Amino acid sequence: MIIFLLPRRTEGGWTYTSTVGVALHRDGRPNMSDGQIVVDGLVKHYRQVRAVDGLRFVVRSGKVTGFLGPNGAGKTTTLRMILNLVRPTAGMATIGGVRYPDLRDPIHTVGAVLEASSAHRGRTARNHLRVISTAAGLPASRADEVLELVGLAPAARRKFKGYSLGMRQRLGIATAMLGDPTTLILDEPANGLDPEGIRWMRNFLKGLAAEGKTVFVSSHLLSEMELLADEVIIIAAGRLVTQGPMEQIIKSSTAQTTVRVRTPQADTLTLSLKELGGSVTAGDTGALLVTGLEPPAVGAAALRAGVELHELVAEQPDLEQVFLQLTEGKAVIR
Amino acid sequence: MTRAIRSELLKIRTTNTWWLMGLGMVLFTGLALLINGLNAHFELQPQTIDDDAPAEIREEMIREENERYSEVHSAAGIAKIAANMYTSGQFFGVLFIMILGGLIVTNEYFHQTATATFLTIPHRTKVIVAKLFAAVVLGFGGWLLTTVINLATTAAVFNYEHISMSLDRWDVHRTILLNLAAFAVWAILGVALGTLIRSQIGTVVTGCVVYLIGLAAAEVVFGLVHAYLIKEDWVITAEVIVPSIASMIMVTPGEMYPHAAPQWVGAAVLIGYALVAGVIGTLITRRRDIS
Ligand SMILES: Nc1ncnc2c1ncn2[C@@H]1O[C@H](COP(=O)(O)OP(=O)(O)O)[C@@H](O)[C@H]1O
Ligand SMILES: [Mg+2]
Repeated sequence: MIIFLLPRRTEGGWTYTSTVGVALHRDGRPNMSDGQIVVDGLVKHYRQVRAVDGLRFVVRSGKVTGFLGPNGAGKTTTLRMILNLVRPTAGMATIGGVRYPDLRDPIHTVGAVLEASSAHRGRTARNHLRVISTAAGLPASRADEVLELVGLAPAARRKFKGYSLGMRQRLGIATAMLGDPTTLILDEPANGLDPEGIRWMRNFLKGLAAEGKTVFVSSHLLSEMELLADEVIIIAAGRLVTQGPMEQIIKSSTAQTTVRVRTPQADTLTLSLKELGGSVTAGDTGALLVTGLEPPAVGAAALRAGVELHELVAEQPDLEQVFLQLTEGKAVIR
Repeated sequence: MTRAIRSELLKIRTTNTWWLMGLGMVLFTGLALLINGLNAHFELQPQTIDDDAPAEIREEMIREENERYSEVHSAAGIAKIAANMYTSGQFFGVLFIMILGGLIVTNEYFHQTATATFLTIPHRTKVIVAKLFAAVVLGFGGWLLTTVINLATTAAVFNYEHISMSLDRWDVHRTILLNLAAFAVWAILGVALGTLIRSQIGTVVTGCVVYLIGLAAAEVVFGLVHAYLIKEDWVITAEVIVPSIASMIMVTPGEMYPHAAPQWVGAAVLIGYALVAGVIGTLITRRRDIS
């Protein structure tokens, strides 16, 4: 076990914070080479708000991790602190065990697509990418490669001011892919994309994760996350609410499975279901909504009561419900 | 570091601003050349003395005119005219360069490219130093452009006037080099101003005010102080602390006005401002949240 004592400047002067070394993650994997993100006690205070309030989590490689939270939860601030764009009030973040400014080749390690990140209106997309390639010591041909990758090659020599929102998002991804990084960080990448663009983005990011890269995507669009993310980290009001694999988060929630049944003998079935301890409410168009009983139990009860069933559907609580339930009361927009 | 500088230069080359500013510089240089050329032409002509004047005054006037004429036509006199021609367009050229220097920085915030820039080069001091270099290169470019135009035009004018271009004289060389210094220092001041202010319009307006109005305002303020408060000559000498006056003192051979500070003090003051503003701007940028 390695424990570092880090001198750190805080509002009241110097304090020493112990930081558990990167060598001991719960699963004991070495993490020097892969691009996993470790957020360790990040805090950011603005004048009136505690935008981020002691966040601690790990984003693993080879998966798409969703970073969820209502507006104002502190997602953007957290991502910007990971990338050394915003100075944390306390805490620190590492990528592959290294702080962002200490990375030898930052854009070869991390690619980022952030909000409030743009290109000069009068510059062409290709020149925008060449400016960044030059700064990173990459050949100019790399600009053409990434433009091809995101499907912007035909518009490469057009000025940025003529770009649609979707094209701008694609250029953002092209920029992030310049250094062929092992870690990708995206802030609300689905914003402004049409359904086709969103599908493209989803497949693109899943493909990158399948290659073993770390993909960390923030969003408040929960339905989109449900299709994209393998893992989720949910925050509200700058604090961690929960984290874990997508299905587990949905299952472990107290939001119950609802079974929808349809039968011509509704009264008989309601009676026998209530005897078994289920609660039954009338749904739309004559269906019954049963909670407190699993679907097989409902089916068995119907068989025993000799009722004819026209429909029996288990409705899983989706992330949307889970999310609202978890962040309830904390989700006030700050 | 070379990558950072090359990237900054590419940023400048891939937008319209540089050649628009260049065009502006060419126009103002042409205007200045026209005025300076006409001035030179009339200065080089012998003045006709009024025939109606009383004899003794007339004699005095002829003597003075002969003296003036031979002074203007001496090697030093012609060199002075030449030096003035070679630095035509300096006043507005330097202003344009300062604005360009400011834009190099403020563009990053205005167009939200600071994020990409600092993601690629997380060491912000490096980015600012690269911008300073790029600004100096721009300053050099502005100087080269105006100086080439000035040399070509002066060659034609002086050929017509049958006088020497004086390109073998050190005082002429010095004036041309000090002109370069002015372009470089104001480019740096522009970058420093941009890092301090960050807002595009704020930087351009502040730069113009400091450069254009600062000159007149300082003369009024120092003049009043000298006339009513402290009737000492050092007050007039102290005008050099105003950047635009320091710049003019730096590039003007000899004493710019009675009791003016020496040329090197003007240079030192400007470099001092560039250093202080640059260091403060860098420190601020290092701490700043980019969002
Ligand atoms: N530069 C800033 N100055 C002051 N408050 C800020 C600043 N940036 C963000 N905030 C505040 O911090 C909170 C978190 O913002 P943000 O990280 O953008 O949330 P999210 O991305 O989850 O919507 C919000 O209340 C926001 O108003
Ligand atoms: Mg956000």
